[in-house]
Amino acid sequence: MNLLTPILILPLLAALLCLLVPSRRFMSVANAFAFGLVLALGTQLLREVVANKVVTECGEFFRADALSAWMVLLISVVSLGTSFYAGQYFQRDLAAGTVTPARVKEFFVLTPIFTAGMLLVVLANNLGVMWFALEATALSSVLLVALYNRRTSLEAAWKYVILGSLGLALALFGTVFTYAAAIDRSSSTLPSFNWSHLMSSSAQLNRGMIKLAFVFVLVGYGTKAGLAPMHTWLPDAHSEAPSPTSAMLSGVSLKVALYALLRFHILTTACLGSPFSRTVLLVFGLGSMCLAAPFILVQTNLKRLLAYSSLEHIGLICAAIGLNSPVTIFGALLHMGYHALTKPVLFFAAGNIHQTCHTLQMRSIGPGLASVLPLTVVCMGLAGVAATGLPPFGLFLSEMTVLSGSFAAGHIAVSALLILALLACFYGILYQLTRIFLGTPRTPRTTNTASLGGVPAMGFMLGTLLLFSVWLPNPLLDLMHRAAAIIGGDQ
Amino acid sequence: MNFTASDLPAQWITLLAAGMLVIQLLMVVQRMLLTSIRLFALQSLMLVAIAAIIAYFHNNAADVYLVAGLTLVGKVFFLPWLLNRLVRRIRIDQEIAPLLNSTSSMVLCGALTLLGYIVARPFTSLERLGNNTLAVAITLLLTGFFLMFNRRKAISQVLALLTVENGVMLAAVALTSYGMPLVVELGIFFDVMVAVMVLGILVYRIRETFASMDVSKLSQLKG
Repeated sequence: MNLLTPILILPLLAALLCLLVPSRRFMSVANAFAFGLVLALGTQLLREVVANKVVTECGEFFRADALSAWMVLLISVVSLGTSFYAGQYFQRDLAAGTVTPARVKEFFVLTPIFTAGMLLVVLANNLGVMWFALEATALSSVLLVALYNRRTSLEAAWKYVILGSLGLALALFGTVFTYAAAIDRSSSTLPSFNWSHLMSSSAQLNRGMIKLAFVFVLVGYGTKAGLAPMHTWLPDAHSEAPSPTSAMLSGVSLKVALYALLRFHILTTACLGSPFSRTVLLVFGLGSMCLAAPFILVQTNLKRLLAYSSLEHIGLICAAIGLNSPVTIFGALLHMGYHALTKPVLFFAAGNIHQTCHTLQMRSIGPGLASVLPLTVVCMGLAGVAATGLPPFGLFLSEMTVLSGSFAAGHIAVSALLILALLACFYGILYQLTRIFLGTPRTPRTTNTASLGGVPAMGFMLGTLLLFSVWLPNPLLDLMHRAAAIIGGDQ
Repeated sequence: MNFTASDLPAQWITLLAAGMLVIQLLMVVQRMLLTSIRLFALQSLMLVAIAAIIAYFHNNAADVYLVAGLTLVGKVFFLPWLLNRLVRRIRIDQEIAPLLNSTSSMVLCGALTLLGYIVARPFTSLERLGNNTLAVAITLLLTGFFLMFNRRKAISQVLALLTVENGVMLAAVALTSYGMPLVVELGIFFDVMVAVMVLGILVYRIRETFASMDVSKLSQLKG
């Protein structure tokens, strides 16, 4: 049975339907339905990948290995959770008059396209196709960031599109160089640009060219993945976008860009056989974490706080992969999954808070939010505890895995830096959140309908997080071990 | 199969690549927006000519003809027309308002060109077409970045982005002599078209909201 093609086509069909049908209720149901089906197909894909290692379709045009299947699961879960939240969120926005119905339609049409683009990134075999899929995700999400049409959101969208396009232009240079490295000087036939083909002939690639290509791709896709110092668009875009979009940007879009970077990392390591690319990843990962920490400590805007926390997490994932021991890579994959389930909850809650308090400045939101929006605060508190890496949530497990792997591999200085950055973020986030949650409200606020809204979506994500924190089913573990082996370099 | 440097078509390709670089430098010192758009169209036309020469003299591949045709329609006619229309529609003043004056910009771009040649030096043996085409491609990238940071007008930033994209295309044909596989070329082509439309929408909205297209006014988000 074909799996990969329907996974890609379903979201596009949903987008088309949303374009044609005017009913908003239908649009949100169509979105949720499509993402639910993609999740189901993704689970099926997991089984097939565990059984057969690699699934290819359309003459190897689409290819899924363990790493791609893992990403498909993350993308579909986050999209599904977001579609649960988005319907009510925009209902409230429409009632408050902050968006027009046309803009809401724009959201429901562009979001599935955004998702389809991310799915194509992880399922494409051809590195060039991977590039233009990533560009498609950038273009579809830019209009989502600008959805509110406020001055600040236009500014954020402009920075996002300009920096993103510059980054992607660099990545395209890198992609072209990779292709050029594969050309056999003596024959006149052109090589295939498929990742699987490049990997199988990695010994014959031109080494200097591959090295140059990796540098370009690192800066290019690194910009899209939000690695410091190319991250400057990230807090702007994540804080100005509507909350459902922020959740998708933070939850998966960053990781999809990192996935693209990882494919080149694997190829570069296979070709050069040297620790060049992993050292670079480690440095950029650590740099992002160390840069995020001070911004978290002094942050005044709630959603920017969450964006910097994402920067810290993506830095940790990147650093863990750079450490390149099987344990840390496994920890990085685990961390990707748990972070994808946690961060959307925080953004959904921030969306509720924004709609109730009409501001994101933490000084004006708090203190005493717990008495205004009790359910939202409980969900956000739990997710905040999870995001800082406290038990019983999975991020504790994944962070410990990374740290223990790092100590075991003898990287004492790196581990110390990791712990320091993690502690700073831990303190920063808990401090900032308790400050707005607890205490007595300074200004009396009326509780509106937002107090209950979004709870099903947040409950869904938190429930899934808790479930997988205590129980990792065997096929999933198998899949992650295989994905870790792919990143580690043994096929 | 490869050209030797003495081939007439190879010399034409070298000449055209050099022409693309010259136009890039003209754009650096150009102050009028509409002229910049025309310069971009001319630069794209040279890229089309390079692709056409390769297709005609070298491999006679239908793919390369198709890509040349698409670039001609898209980048020489459609995008400049679209940008022109946008400029007239939002009735912006013509002056581009660079941050650095043209003399220092020119000196800086000379340095960037030198840097481009140094980066490309170890890879000249990999070039399949012409001399120094890779160096020109990397220089287009570097000066394109400079153009982007040196301009305050949103539309001129879009133009800078497009010249970087021309550089990528030049690198692709110079290094492979076929360009990328057709599906990738088509994907890139449509992405660029959509990108300019998206940017156009944003420029339009920025213009409506800020009553200006000066991106230095986009500076509220910090920290």
